[in-house]
Amino acid sequence: MNTKVSIEPITRLEGHGKIEIYLDDKGNVDRAWFQVPELRGFEKFVQGRLPEDMPQITSRICGVCPTAHHMASTKALDDLYKVTPPAAAKKVRELVYSTFMAEDHTLHFYFLGGPDFVVGPTAPKAERNVLGVIAKVGIETGQKVIAMRRKLRELTALAAGKPIHPVFGLPGGVAKPLSADILAQFKTVAAEAVDFALFTLDVFDKIVLKNSGYVDLIVSDGFTHKTYYMGMVDEKNRLNFYDGTMRVVAPEGNESARFASRDYAQYIAERTEPWSYMKFTYLKAPGWTGFNEGSSSGIYCVAPLARLNVTDALATPHAQAAYEQYIKTLGKPVHHTLANHWARVIELLYAAERMQELANDPETGDSNVRTLPTEQPREGIGIVEAPRGTLIHHYKAGEDGRISNANLIVATQNNAARIALGVDKAARTLITGGKVDDGILNMVEMAFRAYDPCLGCATHSLPGSMPLRVNVHNPQGDMLTTVRRDSDGSIHRT
Amino acid sequence: MTVPSTGPSLRILALGNDILGDDAFAFLVAQRVRERIPGVEVTCSSASGFHLLDDLLGVERLLVVDTVMTGTAPPGTVYVVREGDLEVTPGNSPHYTGIFETLSLARALHLNAPREVLIIAVEAADCLTVGGPMHPAVEAVVPVIAEMVESTSRNFASDFS
Repeated sequence: MNTKVSIEPITRLEGHGKIEIYLDDKGNVDRAWFQVPELRGFEKFVQGRLPEDMPQITSRICGVCPTAHHMASTKALDDLYKVTPPAAAKKVRELVYSTFMAEDHTLHFYFLGGPDFVVGPTAPKAERNVLGVIAKVGIETGQKVIAMRRKLRELTALAAGKPIHPVFGLPGGVAKPLSADILAQFKTVAAEAVDFALFTLDVFDKIVLKNSGYVDLIVSDGFTHKTYYMGMVDEKNRLNFYDGTMRVVAPEGNESARFASRDYAQYIAERTEPWSYMKFTYLKAPGWTGFNEGSSSGIYCVAPLARLNVTDALATPHAQAAYEQYIKTLGKPVHHTLANHWARVIELLYAAERMQELANDPETGDSNVRTLPTEQPREGIGIVEAPRGTLIHHYKAGEDGRISNANLIVATQNNAARIALGVDKAARTLITGGKVDDGILNMVEMAFRAYDPCLGCATHSLPGSMPLRVNVHNPQGDMLTTVRRDSDGSIHRT
Repeated sequence: MTVPSTGPSLRILALGNDILGDDAFAFLVAQRVRERIPGVEVTCSSASGFHLLDDLLGVERLLVVDTVMTGTAPPGTVYVVREGDLEVTPGNSPHYTGIFETLSLARALHLNAPREVLIIAVEAADCLTVGGPMHPAVEAVVPVIAEMVESTSRNFASDFS
């Protein structure tokens, strides 16, 4: 009989997930999966709603990254009504979005990813938590994180109405212009955010990069996958979170695709696996060849690691210097999953500097922030780079002007196939001869957590019942029996 | 005990998501309570984990209304829990069930955390179906819990006098 090891729930993640590792008679990994037993259903729920409500409704998908959904939705409405927002509205949106990215990346680095790297991957489980992070970085730094986060949130509330669920995005613009007083506050906090990001880069350097054990782990084969990467860039091929062109690079680093938001469906396809609620995405050009790496497999990756692989440079000076150091150390493209944490800190710096640029741009304060839509709504697509990767909102409206169809591709879906690769490989590398201790289990989870996956919003394909699959293998790896319950509830035994 | 000069001494914090079936529970309680005991701060939040931090700070006492799914009791079962009644396991899931971790964090950083936290929770049947209806047994305890929150608030308040 095989031995089954379950890690449930995967901690420090949004939503519930489960990794299952199957061991053979010798105690080596037979196969490891990550599973998603949570059901959502926004795509169905929004049918028949007014398009203008979509930024408010979809921001309720998740209690962690509502601003990303709000913004992707707002951009999809621009496209739905074929209306171009005035320059100031775009700048206000990007300013608020940069503020959100800075806040979210801060929280992730210190409190969610922090237990893995700041406290350390082999630290006892009892210390691998936020209190362990504070013990390591000091109370003063912890207070600094909290204070920074609060100031960033207060700015979001000032500009976007509410700190958690913004209410300012409208088709063709934003609800209000930024007053001189609010802009002045943005300028002050943005300067502090740049200092804070530089401080954080220094923390990362001291705790992680100066520790050869951590660096060895980052570049270790168990956490390395050669896949495609996707992210948004501006006209000069520089990273942008709010708007631009989608760019895909191959595992060898060359550009393999480049497309406008509205053409995404020509490049990306979705598929389901019977053992997961998640809809897996893949690149159409190489196609789906199963859970394989390399340029012949359509598996790709998004989020900080991927974004720094698709960009030629960063548009702000401090972030560019940090990026050059990153590339110099790890090469390009970087295939190491755990480098996501470093890339996230560099993006934090970019977000803070971008905030500062936009807050100091006189046009951001212009009073013209709305172009009124006049077209009948038909079809609209909006894409942003969310903290956890590319987020796509695609709506269609019926003759009555209401939403008839919605497709949401969330960051974690883009990463799902690569995460499955990562969990399996980490388990194979780290579990041998039946030795499964606490530290090893944490390392398997680290393969997952580096992406900061948000399973709550990825599981929206609304199947009838929870799909489940149990495979029984003999020590030679031959499949003896499969018991599978598909998403339609049917049970199959082969 | 004297009432602190800044900020309210008691906050009722309703946690939930009003478009997810039974998860609307706390918001319905909040709506009733707000009408019946003017002057008490009532906050509704759909945030999770550390994003709750701001809602936990700046008060002496915090009364949380929430739903739970233990799966071991029938829907509508009411739980009353004081913070100290539960063993806090920080790191278990700061992103999702983070109220205790967030409180631990606040205390570790000497932030203005509440002195006392009381949680009133009801067993839910379904907090995952978008736009789903509430279970009748859960909906039925809305007025009961509103009453409980109201009387607890009065007791809390009288402690300060």
